[in-house]
Amino acid sequence: MNNLNVYKKMGIMLPAMFLLLLFTIIAAVALGAVYVPLGRSFRIILDNIGLIDDPALPQEQVSIIFRVRLPRVIVACVAGAALSACGAVMQGLFRNPMADPGVLGVSSGAGLGAIIAITTGFAARSIYTMPLFAAVGALCTVTLIYLLALRKGKIAPLTLILSGIAVSTFIGAVTQFILIRSNTYEVRRYVFWTMGGLSGMMWEQVRLITFPVLVLLAVLMMFSRELNLLQLGEEEAQSLGLEPSRTRKLLLLFTSLITAVAISVCGPVSFVGLIVPHMVRLIAGPDHRLLIPASALGGAIFLTGCDILGRLPADGEIHVGIITAILGAPYFLYLLIRTRRVGGAF
Amino acid sequence: MNPEIFGNGSTGGRARLLRIENLNYHIDGVPILKDISFEADKKEFIGLIGPNGAGKTTLLKCINGINKGTGCIELDGTDIRTLNNRQIASKIAMLHQDTTVTFPFTVMDIVLTGRYHKLGRFRPETTEDYAVARRCMEYTDTLKLENRLINTLSGGERQRALFARVLAQETDLILLDEPSASLDIAYEEQLFKYARELSDNGKAVIAAVHDLKTAVRYCTRLIMMKEGRIIADGSPESVITRENLRSSYGVDAIVYRNRVTGLVDFHISGGSRSRKDLSVHVIGGGGSACGVIRQLFEAGCRITAGVFPHGDSDLSCADIFGIRALACRPFSEIDDNSLKENIELVKAADMTILCDMPFGLQNIRNLEAAAYASELIIIEDTDPRNRDFTGGKALELYNGLKKRAVVVDSARLHEVI
Repeated sequence: MNNLNVYKKMGIMLPAMFLLLLFTIIAAVALGAVYVPLGRSFRIILDNIGLIDDPALPQEQVSIIFRVRLPRVIVACVAGAALSACGAVMQGLFRNPMADPGVLGVSSGAGLGAIIAITTGFAARSIYTMPLFAAVGALCTVTLIYLLALRKGKIAPLTLILSGIAVSTFIGAVTQFILIRSNTYEVRRYVFWTMGGLSGMMWEQVRLITFPVLVLLAVLMMFSRELNLLQLGEEEAQSLGLEPSRTRKLLLLFTSLITAVAISVCGPVSFVGLIVPHMVRLIAGPDHRLLIPASALGGAIFLTGCDILGRLPADGEIHVGIITAILGAPYFLYLLIRTRRVGGAF
Repeated sequence: MNPEIFGNGSTGGRARLLRIENLNYHIDGVPILKDISFEADKKEFIGLIGPNGAGKTTLLKCINGINKGTGCIELDGTDIRTLNNRQIASKIAMLHQDTTVTFPFTVMDIVLTGRYHKLGRFRPETTEDYAVARRCMEYTDTLKLENRLINTLSGGERQRALFARVLAQETDLILLDEPSASLDIAYEEQLFKYARELSDNGKAVIAAVHDLKTAVRYCTRLIMMKEGRIIADGSPESVITRENLRSSYGVDAIVYRNRVTGLVDFHISGGSRSRKDLSVHVIGGGGSACGVIRQLFEAGCRITAGVFPHGDSDLSCADIFGIRALACRPFSEIDDNSLKENIELVKAADMTILCDMPFGLQNIRNLEAAAYASELIIIEDTDPRNRDFTGGKALELYNGLKKRAVVVDSARLHEVI
């Protein structure tokens, strides 16, 4: 498989993953406290987007699926795709399989933005204010980390990662300081957000993130060839005609934007951006022309799947962020141990 | 010859391809390159030589626009600082020193990265790009590796694949940074052969070369660097001199024209033992004295030699080592005058060495001279009876000398000096 031409591989992998994603979506829509058979779920979706017209469908099921589950599943798909594709790009940027969007402090910045939105009361006024605050917080943090890592117009990857850790920790402390002074309701709301919850997602949230994420994903994919060149090393890439610093800066900007958009809605879901691209790379190989779209599809499948798992317990659902962490952390440790044994980067 | 790989090669008397003037480069205030100026033209294969740390790699990276120095680097009359990397990549290709690729790309994908500077964001590789890549791979004999993963290739295969990528850039100027570092000698030869062929056909090649003998063999011009400066620039013959080797590499080397290859060659003296007090006279001929003279030279002895007929390789050897040697007309008997001089040299020396040489009527008088030695050493590797072409006359003299001489084989010469 690895020796195949990348376009042939795309022709096999992407349709296969797309079919798997469709199946996951239908399963996610059908499963839950009220079970709607798979076939009927599919018909309800088709009916609502106007492809078929079936007045015999039970109205209460239609509204469960179309008003409650479908928006939630779409948010899961979009956020999963965004986080995972960004992870693939970040790992390529730093030539490091352990990099993920969290490195840039996006999560901590978004968290600070969220708590500010909650405590100032803006969050209560409109469903759009908390995502907006979270996105602004994320972007400010990324900019700060980026400026700290800038040396003579170039970004040193190691400095970036270190300053990311330092700034994230500091911002986390500020967030906790605000939390201590907040009332129980505010704390609860914040904790709810940080756990990466998908419940309560409505079509407003879908509208909020789908368009920017899809546009930014397309932009990221246009940088596939540049990312491939970066894998060869900075100077090699430059000899081949790439502007490594400019490419890095642009890609950092796009990845932090897209991550900020995604987590502003569903909270900082951890490990999606780390493990999905890593697993996809095992099959897809290192070529970003395939790696980015395959990671996006894989992320969508993964996050939707995790959400299904979280909804299975009858005595109340588990937040999707908890599920991803439970699955992701052991895989991350496995990677660490294996890297130490093989002696790779990091 | 494949004109599509080599380009048409017609310079049409245009301006210089590359012009560097007063290039200086610092890292944190420490000067790495100092006042580098030279020009390079198409059809030149320039070898950058000099010890490690002389600035060869740094210079190549400056030319490639990776290192930004002060001064002027002009390509086809355009300052490279006004060009972006994509434009530079369309004019200069560089093979870097560290060629390891850890990511499992196929060889074809790697070679196609050489076409990057021609591609647009919305313009994927065309059949022409593939055709160019295949042609370049065919040239470096890597087409059969097309679908192999680059990280599974041997060092030599990888190097040739990356060389194909350099060619796929289709540039007039090619920079090679110690291309033979990870190669065994067969591939090293091949790579330099490719490079020479490319320059002969109209490209300019500048290579940082570690192995001076390879540089001499393939480069049309050498630039010798030391501590960030150019200390010599010109034909291999004019750059590889005893003085230059001493000042750049700090070695004492004998530079001569290799009679087998016809190229400039050199021998680095290994000896540090100084026997300046010992003077030795060497009698030889027909190539028998060369090795002896070298050993004595390295031991630091004062050497004289003779009598050799003109044209004898021992005479050129003496010339290379800069020692005094007596010469006489070839194919004729040693004249009285030469004999007299030879006897004087034998008498003046602390020790005389008679080499494992053939005896004929022309040089039999060398044996007469040897009789005057205060201390005689005879090197006998082969039976003297087989070396006597005088019908026993020389053998008689030889055996007479042998009675009062130390006889050793050449492998044990060092024991007696």
